[in-house]
Amino acid sequence: MSRKTLTRRQFVAATAMSSTALIAAPYVRGAYAAGKLSIGFWDHWVPGANKASTDLVNEWAAKEKVEVSIDYITSQGNKNLVTIAAEAQAKSGHDILAMPTWWPHANANYIEPVNDIMDSIIKENGAVNDTVKYLGQANGKWLGIPACIGSQIKGPCSRIDLMKKFANIDVQAMYPAGGPPKADNWTLDTFLKAAEACHKGGNPFGIGLGMTSDSVDSAGAFFSAFGADLVNAKGDVTVKNDNVRQALEFYKKLIPLLPPDVAAWDDASNNKWLVSGKGAMIMNPPSAWAVAKRDAPQVAEQCWTHGFPAGPKGRFAPYLPYFWTTWNFSKNKEAAKSLLVHLSKPSSIEKCVVASGGYDLPAFEKLTTLKVWAEEGPPKGTLFHYPNPYNHQKLSIAASPAPPKIAQQIYAQGTLTKMALKYAQGEKMEDVLAWAEGECEGFMRS
Amino acid sequence: MTTVTMDKAGPRRKVKQGSISRDRAWALRWSYFFLALFAIFSLTPPLYMLITSLKGSAEISAATNPWWVFHPTLGNYVELLTSSQFLRFFWNSAIVSIVVVAITMLISVPAAFALARMKFWGSTALATGVFLTYLIPDSLLFIPLFKMFATFQDWTGVQLLNRWYVLLLVYPTLTVPFCTWIMIGYFASIPKELDEAALIDGASWFQTLTRIFIPVALPGLIAATIFAFTVSWAQFLYPLVFTTSTDQQVLPVGIITTLIKGDVFNWGQIMTGALLGAAPPLIIYAFLMDYYIAGLTAGATKG
Amino acid sequence: MADVVVGQASVTRSTGVRKRSSLRNAVKHKSTVAFLMTLPLIVLIAVLVLYPAVYSLHLATLSKSMTKFVGLGNFQFLFKRETFWLVVEQSCIFAITAVIFKALIGFIVAHFVHNIPAKGQRKWRGMLLVPWVIPPAMSTLAWLWLFDPSYSAFNYTLSFLNIGPVPWLGEASWARFSVILVNIWIGAPFFMIMYLAALKSVPDQLYEAAAIDGANWWQRIWYVTLPMMRNIIAITTLFSLIVTFANFDIVRILTAGGPLDQTHIFATWAFKVGIEGSDIPLGASVSLFMFPILAIAAIFILRDINKRGNEA
Repeated sequence: MSRKTLTRRQFVAATAMSSTALIAAPYVRGAYAAGKLSIGFWDHWVPGANKASTDLVNEWAAKEKVEVSIDYITSQGNKNLVTIAAEAQAKSGHDILAMPTWWPHANANYIEPVNDIMDSIIKENGAVNDTVKYLGQANGKWLGIPACIGSQIKGPCSRIDLMKKFANIDVQAMYPAGGPPKADNWTLDTFLKAAEACHKGGNPFGIGLGMTSDSVDSAGAFFSAFGADLVNAKGDVTVKNDNVRQALEFYKKLIPLLPPDVAAWDDASNNKWLVSGKGAMIMNPPSAWAVAKRDAPQVAEQCWTHGFPAGPKGRFAPYLPYFWTTWNFSKNKEAAKSLLVHLSKPSSIEKCVVASGGYDLPAFEKLTTLKVWAEEGPPKGTLFHYPNPYNHQKLSIAASPAPPKIAQQIYAQGTLTKMALKYAQGEKMEDVLAWAEGECEGFMRS
Repeated sequence: MTTVTMDKAGPRRKVKQGSISRDRAWALRWSYFFLALFAIFSLTPPLYMLITSLKGSAEISAATNPWWVFHPTLGNYVELLTSSQFLRFFWNSAIVSIVVVAITMLISVPAAFALARMKFWGSTALATGVFLTYLIPDSLLFIPLFKMFATFQDWTGVQLLNRWYVLLLVYPTLTVPFCTWIMIGYFASIPKELDEAALIDGASWFQTLTRIFIPVALPGLIAATIFAFTVSWAQFLYPLVFTTSTDQQVLPVGIITTLIKGDVFNWGQIMTGALLGAAPPLIIYAFLMDYYIAGLTAGATKG
Repeated sequence: MADVVVGQASVTRSTGVRKRSSLRNAVKHKSTVAFLMTLPLIVLIAVLVLYPAVYSLHLATLSKSMTKFVGLGNFQFLFKRETFWLVVEQSCIFAITAVIFKALIGFIVAHFVHNIPAKGQRKWRGMLLVPWVIPPAMSTLAWLWLFDPSYSAFNYTLSFLNIGPVPWLGEASWARFSVILVNIWIGAPFFMIMYLAALKSVPDQLYEAAAIDGANWWQRIWYVTLPMMRNIIAITTLFSLIVTFANFDIVRILTAGGPLDQTHIFATWAFKVGIEGSDIPLGASVSLFMFPILAIAAIFILRDINKRGNEA
């Protein structure tokens, strides 16, 4: 930098540097004692997105002179969950580990609270949504920093042409790029009609009913739209109520309109359904579209990501946050926290979002209107409504008002999708409810 | 066997012979027909692996005729064989399998010798017990072992979980019993006079083993080696549970956890990985098939 | 071999006195030496098989957080779970069906291979054994791709016959079928090769005698082949029953237990509950349940092993 007057750009750079120095200060003092940090990030679906996090970490490591190693751990086949369980049992592992949804709570006893850095991050980036609070906080302690990498809304991704052709719905008009949604008519009834029309047309909606997260998340949003909670926030089993019955009735109507083997779908199946050109709609973050862009451009051009249909109790969209956590047995907590601060800076977050083609979704209020979502295409603006820019829908997670440890079991066992399947396959409503009640009681184990 | 009956029947009546040989020709034709059918059944999946591995991701997602390659490419092979991660899996698998084979042989050969030849207190029970360890399969043991290794680390600070060398500890539990079993069978088939003679001649037990038994039972030894190698190479459950970092993983688990990315179409690569992963056992098998089969059937025919 | 001959030659030369003393020496040390030779084996099995097996008994008596002793509480809990009984039932269906078909196919194919001229046998045997040689995790991936909902090559082929699309892994009955099919594919060659070895060890004279007595093809199999192969059929079947019963990778990769838990077997469910659901004690209880069932198989095996010992 020149000794003369600073240019504006240089000034910004200098203040940015000094501000990081300030935040990182408590760490820097003892920095060189333990100079190693191992990180377990979520292995990104979107091709090439891992590079952004690698770069950010290296940038920080070079500055802090810390030796870092990064593992990218896939969530395919629940590999990341096995890793988390193994590290918690062995009391050794990565200094920073990405944990999805329920897992910070499940491992709360082994996790280092991060309130000290979380408060300042919220101050800078804006408040976080309720789902993040529900999943990331235990007894007032923040168990992890909401990670933008891997956090996602699994809203509908529709085929513009097929929806027009079969269901007479113009999804682009309903969710116009650059403007607020005009989706008052986009209700579960409309949705069912559209599903029926597309099924008749030979391009059914691809909504999984398996036990992996995509299927469970969609079910969670539909159940929430009916206000159908299996267990309430106090931990009481509330399976036998009319809201749940309504939700099951809805699924019973929907399932015959889906492909025949949705019960076995995993998180990849819906993507394949879209990319192969067979489906008119799937519920997924934009990774399916991103792959289509590479392998089947003619499909990608017709994709439009938008909001969920509204039900009697509101409009809910499944939101799946990841958290970056630090074990309390980690040997380098201070360095870990310093890196987490670095990764949570608006500029870092924007880099990740861009690298992931708009897939990653920051949990913070001020960061849901980045340029990238307006610009990504083709078709241009396809991702504009992905981050829920107008707070048009409530972000929620399946099984959510239940205490997280119970909700985790409901989620992991796919109780919601199983109920829907059982009822649709001809079991009696009350039998299904009784079965689910038994399951939920089983989930109370401690 | 059918040949035998035909020869027997032959001299008796000429007309009958004609019909029998016609029967036989038909039986042969049917045999070939069904064998071909079963061969198709056996070879379809590996063949399909090969076909898919030669396709690019665009061709796969275009959903054209899956049984034909329209634009063959070696891209998947190039990508995998230059990926440091994949080579690391391969390397881990190779190291683990080779060391496990060595450990297995060091444990099971002397033990089999002692059990086959040196009757001592409890030797029969032990021989039976070795076989019975098969009743305690890996799927029963992985949870307690997992907890054991975690506790072990708590006590000693030595990390076993998520380290590839933990597999060197657990794989022998799968290979040693069967190899010991094979070797007992082989050793038992060696005439008793041989070792008695050697002993009388002043050879120690150890010399008897190395000078007489090992050379004589070499085919069995090779069979056991191949067997141990194949088992170690193919293991899935233990490495899935005990190793998590990508640089600690072996091939089968590595391919399944890192190449399958939910949303991305790399089935071409997955099939390439699977084919490359299947290659070492297949190559060994192609060259040493007879030993392999001998090993599999050792317990059966030597009994 | 050369060593052996030399050794044998030297025996004849040795004197009676030396014979007796070295024999006595050998006997004196024999049990010590033998014990040392088997020690690594004993240690290995004791530490890494028996101890964890017993330890899993202990784990199965702890509460979910592993802080409290609950006795048989976990089993009480399991017995009340519908899913648990579903898993028990499925494991039995899976193992028994798969083993029966593996044995049948193995037997039939072994006969066909045995039937053709000896010259070509090696080639066929080689091709038919391939499924057994490929690591199951790898070949199951190929099956998974063949069964894929959107890209199934089987459905592509069947569509020309106006059949399908078949939900190979999507519907409980089809998924069970597919899982068992893959298991048969992997396991049948093992039976084939064992039976082939057994067939070859049946003396030809027996068939000659049977032919002279006018036995037809079926009678020859029933009265000659099967009795001669009885031992090996028993051992192979029971061995395969254990392995199939405890199978993990096929189900895990193909269906991970779905749809609706209807393909879960002991190992996959124990993994789901114990490792993925962070409930190690419950997982241990589930897999422990395999033991009584396997023990019954053990009794049969024991009887056969004793027979084998007597014959030798």
